[in-house]
Amino acid sequence: MRIYNFLSKKVGELTIKYSNLPESYIKRSYEQVYWKNPKGYPQYPAAQIARKNYRFTTNRPWTMQFGRQNERTTQRKKVFLEPIGEWMYFKGDRVEILVGRDKGKQGIVSQVIQERNWVIVEGLNTHLRVVGKDKSFPGITVQSEAPLLVTTGVKLVDPETLKATDVEWRYTEEGEKVRVSTNSGRIIPIPKAAQETVDYKSRELYMENPDKDTTAAVANKITFAPKLQTFEMDIMESMGIKEDRTPATTYWY
Amino acid sequence: MSTRWYPLYQRGNPQLRVFLPNFWMKLVRSSVNQLPNVVQFHCSMEMTKHDIKNYLEKIYNIPVVEVKTRIAMGKFRKDVGKGYIVKDDDIKFAYVTLPKTMKFEFPNIFEKKKGDTEDDMKSLDEAKKSFKGFIQRNKDRSDVPSWFTI
Amino acid sequence: MNFLFNNILRNAAVISYRSHNSLKLYITAIQNITYIHTTSKHNNLMDFFDNKKNWNETNIRVGRAWRLDELRIKSNTDLHKLWYVLLKERNMLFTMEHECNRKVRLFPNPERIDKVEESMNNIETVVRERNTAYYTLETGETGERPVEDVVNLFGLPEKYPKNEYIIPKFMNTRWVKSYLEHGYINSLAVKKFYRLYQEKLRSIKRNERNRNFNHVQHLLKRFPDMDLEKLQAEYPEVDLEKAKRTKKARGHFLPKY
Repeated sequence: MRIYNFLSKKVGELTIKYSNLPESYIKRSYEQVYWKNPKGYPQYPAAQIARKNYRFTTNRPWTMQFGRQNERTTQRKKVFLEPIGEWMYFKGDRVEILVGRDKGKQGIVSQVIQERNWVIVEGLNTHLRVVGKDKSFPGITVQSEAPLLVTTGVKLVDPETLKATDVEWRYTEEGEKVRVSTNSGRIIPIPKAAQETVDYKSRELYMENPDKDTTAAVANKITFAPKLQTFEMDIMESMGIKEDRTPATTYWY
Repeated sequence: MSTRWYPLYQRGNPQLRVFLPNFWMKLVRSSVNQLPNVVQFHCSMEMTKHDIKNYLEKIYNIPVVEVKTRIAMGKFRKDVGKGYIVKDDDIKFAYVTLPKTMKFEFPNIFEKKKGDTEDDMKSLDEAKKSFKGFIQRNKDRSDVPSWFTI
Repeated sequence: MNFLFNNILRNAAVISYRSHNSLKLYITAIQNITYIHTTSKHNNLMDFFDNKKNWNETNIRVGRAWRLDELRIKSNTDLHKLWYVLLKERNMLFTMEHECNRKVRLFPNPERIDKVEESMNNIETVVRERNTAYYTLETGETGERPVEDVVNLFGLPEKYPKNEYIIPKFMNTRWVKSYLEHGYINSLAVKKFYRLYQEKLRSIKRNERNRNFNHVQHLLKRFPDMDLEKLQAEYPEVDLEKAKRTKKARGHFLPKY
């Protein structure tokens, strides 16, 4: 079952990281389970009726828009994803665009959508979109960026030559895993913006919620002292509960 | 052993103790008019009346006079899409009576209305307003381009 | 359960339930749990609700769940207190969620429930680890519920978690009888079932193989310049040479040779 879960994992790792949400929540927020057999009864197999295929788009899986796009009645065609091996592109990377009308321009990756092998480059590869149109109002026109395929649409920029280059993962002598440009052999560091999540720009800037969060000082304080006691014994001792009766023997079979 | 394992009890054994109870209870608004000192809960199916009393008294420090429970069977209904029959989960209700001197009124959580809407909605409204103003200004010269206005 | 909850949450320097991703130290006062509420008549029933200032919020941002390593450095008493903090938090979240659903409002940050539950599961894991260590040291056994590999009534291998009984097996006539009654593992019916079951498993496997082969053909058609090594790495069972020769894999373009 665990292997199955692993294989059927559809939401990308970077998406989960960016969302800053527990994986179990992402799963239950996007999955559509219409019926599940009750657990713990021998007469019911572990069966469920659920939607099998989801269309991942620029809408993130935990949002309402995603749910609306994947309504029960809508079935979309299968999307074929080119296997790309290990993921190379992170938020904040400088990339060159290889297709479309912004071909040859360089820009910064503003969003990574691993489920579709997409990146969105800030301010490039855009189209116009009319928002808020109604009878008495013609709407506002906004520019919106279209996603680009990482296989054919973009290439990382070499920081030395400032030209598009192929990149591969290698290890430094310290055993650190880095992206290396194949043209110049220079390391392309992973940008700081890659750490950004929905909640904060970087870990240091996270403002903690004073009523809900435990402070790191308290969380990292070591209070554990090894004792030759089980959890229950220790709690009983600290609460002053005395218990000297011994349990009668039982048999396990 | 799992902390969930409840060992067999025989006479003379040490008292059985639960150290990490996994029961949940949620306070719900009562569906019918109740006395002011009666509170309605949904709780874990495994909880007995004694469990509920102890749970509230020891964890929440709430004095409890009486507990009544009932299990409401989930509805059988047809699935909206395919029409097969599904059953909703059963719910265990607990009606907890507090001492006569105490009153509980379910608070109104969504009381205060939030005046401010989303920012993008606000800007859209502003754009609509300015567009109306523009139309109003240029009523008599509809064929002149917008940039021509002073 | 009376004895158990005595003193638990009194005078506790209690850890509120979540900590945050970073290792940076945040210094704020440790919160004491107090039962003082402004409306005395409501008493502690208001613990089932969130703070009043969070009532109309649309976004209540909180940190992440407790991790195993953070819980391993905590004493048993701390874990015990933390459990009740989490338990109350979860009850609060359930209450708020129910009320939101009833009023057809969006429940702010429903992932909080998952975070609390993850923390609770982690506490249980840590407690079990400690108890297992104690029992292995003292008795040589883990003290966990024993599990046996058996062949079940359908002739399939199964993990059988053993049960606890007051009397030994040879005295327990009822248990032995019921087991013998159904224990015809070599019967014709079981053999037939087993054969059909294996057939089902085989067909699942075959379908998966065919599905993958089909998928690879389509990929080859759509992405003719694809990196074949990566494709092979993703679908190790598929014969790429064979897939390339098929009609399905040929796209609407002129072949390169």
